[in-house]
Amino acid sequence: MNRNPVESSNLKSAGYEDTVLEIEFLDGGVYQYFDVPQAVYDGLIQAESPGKYFWANIRGAFRYARV
Amino acid sequence: MNAGDEPTLIGTVRDVNGPSVGVKLNSASAAGLKFVQGRGYRIGQVGSFVKCPVGFLDLFGVVTQVGASALPQPLGDDPENNGLWMTVQLVGEARRGGRFERGLGQYPTFGDPIHLVTDADLRRVYSREFEPGKSIRIGSIASAESIPAEVGVNRLVTRHSAVVGSTGAGKSTTVAKLLEVLSQADIYPSARILVFDVHGEYARAAEPHLRVLRVDAEDPVERLHMPYWALNFDELLALTFGPVKGAERSALLNEVTARKQQALQSQPRRGVKPDTVTVDAPVPFSIHDLWLKMYRQLNSTHLVAGNQSRTTEALQTGADGKPIQEGDALKVVPPLYRAQTQAAGEEKIYLSNNSLNLRREVDSLGVRLRDRRFSFLFEPGEWSPDLNGAVKADLDKLLQSWLGAKEPVTIVDLSGIPPEVLHDVIGIMLRIVYDALYWGRDIAEGGRERPLLVILEEAHAYLGPDSGSLAGSSVRKIVKEGRKYGVGAMIVSQRPSEVDHTVLSQCGTTFALRLANSQDRSHVVSSVSNNLEGLLSMLPVLRTGEAIVIGEAVNLPMRVLIEQPGKRRRPDSSDPSVFGEKGPGGWNKAREPEDYSELVELWRSQRSKSPRVC
Repeated sequence: MNRNPVESSNLKSAGYEDTVLEIEFLDGGVYQYFDVPQAVYDGLIQAESPGKYFWANIRGAFRYARV
Repeated sequence: MNAGDEPTLIGTVRDVNGPSVGVKLNSASAAGLKFVQGRGYRIGQVGSFVKCPVGFLDLFGVVTQVGASALPQPLGDDPENNGLWMTVQLVGEARRGGRFERGLGQYPTFGDPIHLVTDADLRRVYSREFEPGKSIRIGSIASAESIPAEVGVNRLVTRHSAVVGSTGAGKSTTVAKLLEVLSQADIYPSARILVFDVHGEYARAAEPHLRVLRVDAEDPVERLHMPYWALNFDELLALTFGPVKGAERSALLNEVTARKQQALQSQPRRGVKPDTVTVDAPVPFSIHDLWLKMYRQLNSTHLVAGNQSRTTEALQTGADGKPIQEGDALKVVPPLYRAQTQAAGEEKIYLSNNSLNLRREVDSLGVRLRDRRFSFLFEPGEWSPDLNGAVKADLDKLLQSWLGAKEPVTIVDLSGIPPEVLHDVIGIMLRIVYDALYWGRDIAEGGRERPLLVILEEAHAYLGPDSGSLAGSSVRKIVKEGRKYGVGAMIVSQRPSEVDHTVLSQCGTTFALRLANSQDRSHVVSSVSNNLEGLLSMLPVLRTGEAIVIGEAVNLPMRVLIEQPGKRRRPDSSDPSVFGEKGPGGWNKAREPEDYSELVELWRSQRSKSPRVC
């Protein structure tokens, strides 16, 4: 999946395809979150602090797996 | 000449005892730091080099001991003594301005000056004949980071090597770095490396230079198969019937040979003739057919006592008079027979005339033939023979998938192989590869023309000291004879003391990372020459990613900071984070909603990658 770089203190890049959100962390780990609505991805990309947005709206809300 | 004129002078030789030299430092060295051409050098670091000019030669030595205990015994009470002594082990020499060579032609004598070694000198010591590809750069010298650490590629591969170090010392990183530099397409377009990856650590990176073979791959090109008929008879027994001796062994041997002969008659193969074929020849035959034949011989019941044949079999019949279950070899379904009976008034049913005691072995073969986990062996895709031994693809295609991929590195991911046969599978694959390259040694595919490097991860697990396992004997053969036929082994282990000593002692080059356990350390130390043991005293205190490289592929033992491989090329062996920092996991993060049914699904399907990951 293509990911776009994001400006954050712990996220490196994020990509979205067909309800799957893929996030790369600064430590190199890549995770996929499943059944994520497009709006959540848009929110992440546009958020002032994508890191905070991630912790508030994505983590804990969707199932994920390490890629 | 006083010390001020020669900034590198640090002391004088006072005691020579073979290659071991006692040096008294001058008082200017007491500070422990000297500046030469604007760069600071620490004096008297254990493991650092010193230089002793004698005539037209420069002798080089390694500092092994510093301080009061380095004092020669008779001087113990000397009031003049300033206590600044060190012991140096001489290791080699170089003509002034020339190249460094191991070994000594001359010894220093008392009064000879001892100089510290500058970066320019170190370069002379460590540099190898530069020719791109002849040596590889794996990092930099730990004491002088501007100097590259180079390893000769010929000896590294063909004289075998070992990478040892405690867990977390950087073994996987070292191997990944070696893989990275050895598979550079511009320098080594024909590199050929086979990695036996027991835990699936390397299988993760989807890199253009490597390819993964695994038993559960979806793409048939990536699927790992090991057709049972390519095994020799002993290997076949180990994976099928188990240990069998005496008359039973001969009976099976004859059955297998006969099947191979028959198969060759209907499908001739170049290089082997039906009348000379041996039981060990890699010729297709049907083990399913063999199983059913043996099952019948052992378990059938008959309507007559003598002259039994297939037509006299007492099969169980249903209401319609037809047999309920006649048996099906390919589906591994046994025929159902009526129970033996001699009761008066009833039809007499006799047991099969059979003298072989193999019932348990044949049953266990049946279990394995039905077991999905063994399908890489018994139903190997295109290499599955039908009942007459006809196959869609022959061994050439198998060897091409193991050795002839366009990618230089092939990772054999063994994580899906049933653990009870894992060690035998490794041994058999190695034996097949070795045999193929041995016999093909003079043609372009063979080992002499295109050498193969085999990397054995977690070697202590299957190369134990007295393991009679197939893996042990294959690896022993490779390390003893592989050099001549272009098969090199790299043994990777965290417990060198648990690896067969014959195997380790045949490894020409050792990358020793931090080793905490003293037993393991002594195992490594015993493989270097005596006067360099001092260098290896650093083994327990090496930093992560730092290795002492000793042996044939380097001029001199060197302490190396291994360079990190490119990010994607790092193996997946980093520890789970209990205290998670960046990622979502860790004890310090809020609980995720958990669903253990997904975990069970992964467990049952024996794969760690979630099916939802795209």
